[in-house]
Amino acid sequence: MVDWSVLSATIKIEKHEMSNNIKYWKGEEELNRDPQFLADQKREFGEALPLDKALSDEGFELNSNRRDFLKYFGFSVTAVALASCYKTKVRHAVPYLVKPEDVTPGVANYYRSTCNSCSVGCGIEVKVREGRPIKLDGSPDSPISKGGLCAIGQASILSLYDTERLANPLVKGEENKDWNSIDGDIKGKLAKMSASSEAVVLISNSIHSPSTLKTIETFTTTYPNVKHIMYDAVSYNGMLEANLKDFGKRAIPHYNMGAAKVIVSFAADFLGTWISPVEFQHDYSVNRRPENKDGMSVHIQFESNLSITGTNADHRFPMLASKELAYVATLYNYIAKVKGIAQIAVPTNSELAGNSIEKAAKILIANEGKSLVISGSNSVEVQRVINAINMLLGSYNSTIDIQNHSNQFKGDDNAIQNAFDGLNKGTIKGVIFYGANPAYNHNKDWAAAIAKASLSVSLSSTKDESAASCQYVLPDNHFLESWGDAEPIKGQVHFIQPTISNVFNTRQAQETLLTWSNALPGNENDPFAKKGILSQKLEAAPYYLFLKAFWEGRVADFNKVLEIGYVSTADATSTPASYAGTVADLAGAVSKSNSSNGIDLVLYQSVGMRDGASGNNPWLFELPDPVSKVCWDNYVSLPKSLAVSLGIEKDDTVSIEINGVKLQNVPAMVQPGQSNNTVGLAVGFGHTHAGKVGGSIEKGFAPVGVNAYKFMSATRSMVVNNVTISKGDDSYPLAQTQTHHSIEGRDIVKESTFAEFQKNPKAGNEKAATHIYTIWEKAEYRKDGSPNHLWGMAIDLNACTGCGACVVSCSIENNVPVVGRDEIRLRREMHWIRIDRYYSFANTQKEMFNGASYVTEEDKVSELDAVSTKDTGYSHWENVQVIHQPMMCQHCSQAPCETVCPVLATTHSSEGLNQMTYNRCIGTKYCGNNCPYKVRRFNWFRYNDNDKFDFHFNNPLGKMVINPDVTVRTRGVMEKCSFCVQKIQEAKLKVKREGGSPQDVKVETACQRACPSNAIVFGDLHNENSEISKLYKNERSFGVLEQLNIQSSVKYMTKIRNTQNN
Amino acid sequence: MNMSRIKMWALAIGFTIASPILTQAQPNADEGKKLYEANNCGSCHALDKKVVGPALRGVHERRSEEWLVKWIRNNKKFRESGDADAIALYNEYGGAAMNIFENLTPAQVLDIVEYIKTAPAPTAPKTDSPVGTVEPQTDSSTKYILLILVVIFGIVLMVLGRVKNTLRRVAAEKDPSEGEFLGDNRKWYLKMLPSKLAHMNPTVLAIFITLAVALPGAWYGYKFAITEVGVQKGYAPTQPIAFSHKLHAGELNIDCKYCHSTVEESKSASIPALNTCMNCHKGVQATEKYNGEISPEIKKIYAALDYDPQALPGKEYGNNPKPIRWVRIHNLPDHAYFNHSQHVVVGKLQCQSCHGPVEKMEVVQQWNTLQMGWCIDCHRNTGIDAANNNYYAALHDKAAKDLKKNQNNSQYFGPDGKVKITPAMNGGLECAKCHY
Repeated sequence: MVDWSVLSATIKIEKHEMSNNIKYWKGEEELNRDPQFLADQKREFGEALPLDKALSDEGFELNSNRRDFLKYFGFSVTAVALASCYKTKVRHAVPYLVKPEDVTPGVANYYRSTCNSCSVGCGIEVKVREGRPIKLDGSPDSPISKGGLCAIGQASILSLYDTERLANPLVKGEENKDWNSIDGDIKGKLAKMSASSEAVVLISNSIHSPSTLKTIETFTTTYPNVKHIMYDAVSYNGMLEANLKDFGKRAIPHYNMGAAKVIVSFAADFLGTWISPVEFQHDYSVNRRPENKDGMSVHIQFESNLSITGTNADHRFPMLASKELAYVATLYNYIAKVKGIAQIAVPTNSELAGNSIEKAAKILIANEGKSLVISGSNSVEVQRVINAINMLLGSYNSTIDIQNHSNQFKGDDNAIQNAFDGLNKGTIKGVIFYGANPAYNHNKDWAAAIAKASLSVSLSSTKDESAASCQYVLPDNHFLESWGDAEPIKGQVHFIQPTISNVFNTRQAQETLLTWSNALPGNENDPFAKKGILSQKLEAAPYYLFLKAFWEGRVADFNKVLEIGYVSTADATSTPASYAGTVADLAGAVSKSNSSNGIDLVLYQSVGMRDGASGNNPWLFELPDPVSKVCWDNYVSLPKSLAVSLGIEKDDTVSIEINGVKLQNVPAMVQPGQSNNTVGLAVGFGHTHAGKVGGSIEKGFAPVGVNAYKFMSATRSMVVNNVTISKGDDSYPLAQTQTHHSIEGRDIVKESTFAEFQKNPKAGNEKAATHIYTIWEKAEYRKDGSPNHLWGMAIDLNACTGCGACVVSCSIENNVPVVGRDEIRLRREMHWIRIDRYYSFANTQKEMFNGASYVTEEDKVSELDAVSTKDTGYSHWENVQVIHQPMMCQHCSQAPCETVCPVLATTHSSEGLNQMTYNRCIGTKYCGNNCPYKVRRFNWFRYNDNDKFDFHFNNPLGKMVINPDVTVRTRGVMEKCSFCVQKIQEAKLKVKREGGSPQDVKVETACQRACPSNAIVFGDLHNENSEISKLYKNERSFGVLEQLNIQSSVKYMTKIRNTQNN
Repeated sequence: MNMSRIKMWALAIGFTIASPILTQAQPNADEGKKLYEANNCGSCHALDKKVVGPALRGVHERRSEEWLVKWIRNNKKFRESGDADAIALYNEYGGAAMNIFENLTPAQVLDIVEYIKTAPAPTAPKTDSPVGTVEPQTDSSTKYILLILVVIFGIVLMVLGRVKNTLRRVAAEKDPSEGEFLGDNRKWYLKMLPSKLAHMNPTVLAIFITLAVALPGAWYGYKFAITEVGVQKGYAPTQPIAFSHKLHAGELNIDCKYCHSTVEESKSASIPALNTCMNCHKGVQATEKYNGEISPEIKKIYAALDYDPQALPGKEYGNNPKPIRWVRIHNLPDHAYFNHSQHVVVGKLQCQSCHGPVEKMEVVQQWNTLQMGWCIDCHRNTGIDAANNNYYAALHDKAAKDLKKNQNNSQYFGPDGKVKITPAMNGGLECAKCHY
């Protein structure tokens, strides 16, 4: 029997023994003890079960009589009898006719390739089962992905099996299967236009593939009237132009986050969406481990929206986005003053960010040569000042490499504007889209402009917004069906190889362009060509021959390079950057920026959607935003002050207007950390031609979210000043996962400062498990466990950036269904791993670097003033701190779930796993109720076979992505993280077959494999030399809710912030 | 070893080798046939048809014996010696070199030639002959005969019944005491009951009968649901190709793993791809059984691959292949994970342990129930070879210690007194070992 008096005493003790006194909260509701929220927390499930009705007198009054009873009884008996006569379906097995030598049915092959879902170019490793790619992970040999891969890259495998892909070319909207006749038509038209010198523009996204650039060069040489321009939905034009001016090179430099000991970022979301986030996350996290010999790096972030990067910063300061130039100029002036260099001649605005800019300048100067200042702005002026600052700090050739620059973004804002004007005026007669979709993400009316062209071609693989207006849509292959290469950073060449033959009647875009240029390599020498289709190999593809011819002579062994997927062709000699810039002429611009008023609309890329190129991918819609935890929609994020003055409450909407562009009734949400006088809105949503998931007007699927690209001006700035914002007259409940569970004031996360850590490595974690109370008899699993393995996991809260790559990776590996917006509103999301985000109020002192003075007592929260900045630099609501904590089944050794299951569907293994047996589960949900971590998910519907959940699981093509080693769960069962037991079993078996020792078993769980910052470590605790065993002994490691003595198998490492006190 | 011993051995070996040569002055067609089969000549040659290599009949007329011996024993060397005929033959067959048979002595080669010389010519395929062949009796006619018999017996029974009733009525007319049953107006089912039961309270009787029927029924239903529904033991469907395991695995003694080649590395043993069949069946066409025609079953392989048996060697398959849809016999449910390599390599099980005597099955059938209880029984009782796998070292140590301490009370005590470790003792009964 449970002695409740002791239990309640425990809770009291718990409160007194919290290891630090920081008040954490997950959402405003929890903070304000909202009565509805408190009532909801009492229930395990979002929807109330109709128990009241059933238990009332009315409920007990039977509406059926004896005859009905007999009818139902008779029916049931007959149904059961008939069911037992069910004849087992005859199942077939269809083996290969000629088995490819490298394929073993049941065993996965891994191929190196390069991700093409955005233009970053991460090297990937493709898991292929029986000729069917089922999982993408980062390639450890790629210097861009470094073994990790972001959520979008992970999810891009589903776009291969997307039913919205075009199965055949479209000619004027009609399907036409005959590529040859289309080629003939277009070649004729191009030749005619070339003869009469009618201009044609080829609009692509940023291309850094050497062979594709060569292809386009061949094309534009054949047709000299064709001009190739590059266009990025989210532009880096400001940076490119600034570098052209200052260094004579229109390129983004390559940032080396690993060398940066101090990073000052002005709204550059480099951990989430800025340039090359996977690479940056990896390199950044290396310096974020307090155990490092040379200490932790310092990260200071100035920004308006609370970005994922801001949540990881040691110091984060709200910024009025339109004043960014004034902020960076102030920083420049402080540094210039110390250096004795001429300052920008403007009066320094001491009101900007308190004294934080001066303090930041001091820290930067103290770490000269190891520091880095970056800005996410698309303003040339801002980027020029940033260049000047980095020059003063000696960052070039240390943290910044402009010689071996990045090729990832090259878009030209003027060129796209000129192309639009040309099409509109009729000076450009033809347009070809390749990887660019300006009709969606440019603010002009492209549909009308495209209609004026005499030749309009889209090489998009779906009928996207631009393609919808084109005469010809010639579907490109998915990158998993293509040959190719990539050079994201100069000298870092990656390769793309196909891992599946074409799913549809599509053709690689490069092949299309080469065909039109009459430059397609013939395959007369192809040894397989004449041997019939059973002997055909993907090496017979014409573009393979082109690619091979291109690289032969440049790389030593082409096949070897393909196998690794990467080769370095870098030139070792790096000459120092020759800076030729000046910022003296910017005084006027700075003054203007400093005097900006009104409300800023700050557009941003969400971590899941980024620029919206993967706008039909349900996994990405379902991924909760790392900060707001909103799924499926974009929303206006409001600062508390504005919400109060507009009277916006939960589920309200707002209308935004600027320069005649208006969006009405956009869902709104109070975002802690949002700067006063700014509102945020994510781009990448509101597709009209994405498909059934992302929205398609043609097919009658409502767009998901609103298209914020409408607000972008010709300068492609993400900051729009002086917006009018008003309360909308509609209400819209956002599907938000953050408040689905409550922490009840318990000590779930732990944190401390680096200064404290240096004094005592157990800082913040001193009082771990001081009170252990067991409410069950000790079930000593570990004593009688397997002598071979004991599995455990450790997660470093310092390395975890909250990006969500693990969530998508887990969903793919474990066949986790997408449930959709409505189900999430009912708290029925199915993710096996979630990332909990905890806010806490930081100090609000004007002296920003005066140590952490957190708001500690619950009752003080209500006293916090939302709007006023009184004597302080910022209001509390602008200044929150965040901890991200991945949470999955903790595989407790004394698991509360196991003891309550009436049918023993969840049991413990001798290797320390908490097993879930779906076929035993009868769905009582007792386990979910009894789980203190709330990680068990109840499967409410047969998502794989239910057309109400029309995502990908319910159609044969979408099912191709299912991992064949993991059961597809049916409705009515509980499910949860299994520690990727299928991977454990596979790894064990491999060692067993080879007769190795248990220490040789190497397992990486899906979440661990995906993590770009290596925050998650999984391994065998019986192996004393394993990384996991060392981490378990680390002073920072703690178990969540250790006081319950349920002995979880997941340990977390205390979060250490490198806050600066001087 | 002294010299005389060596001499003696050398002499013995010499005699052994020489004896067939000495005893066999004349070529022997029977020996030749054996050699022909032992060396798998048939995989590339047929007597009357061009296969991979030329048709062999009449080869003794086309070439000299000396030429044949040289060619067959080492055609490569022969060609290199510059023999014009040999090179011409090689080129005729598209450079597909014949295997080297230096293991054959010249005399043995001549035996084979003798066999080819004397082999019976194929009988011409039978055309529609006017003399009708006797159709074999089919099972269906037996069925009809039985049915007719049942009907006849039924009629006889009815007639006899009527006769009996008439006789009884006649008897009753004579002696009324005989007729007491005629006036019985009880319900038919009461009449059927033994007299004691017939006098029971109808309610009690009803309950009694219900229980008597329902309880065994429920028990049977329960047993049926557990042991029968979805259990396909004995399932032996007709396959699209009448492949005989009895012939291939039994008589020809081909190793299971030759065709089911992935069994040691993968979770599935895999049904072989047709190119595995073609390793042999490019040559082996069983023409001798089908009057010179290719076996209709082997033809199905060719059709599936769109392969033309008349095509020259080196020619690949055509462009119209049709994969074969075998009927799956062993159907584990999707929520059960089974790995062949675990059981065959690590567990060192024979295929027959689970699949039964496949080498004796003309048509393969499911031999075991494949139910979970069956798996568990084996996991509980079968010992694993822990001593010879480094992976199980720690487990084996633990077991050995326990055995030393507790002797025959130890759970690791095997029938031979040695350590016995079953999969169950290593967590082999845990849910997530097979269900995930």
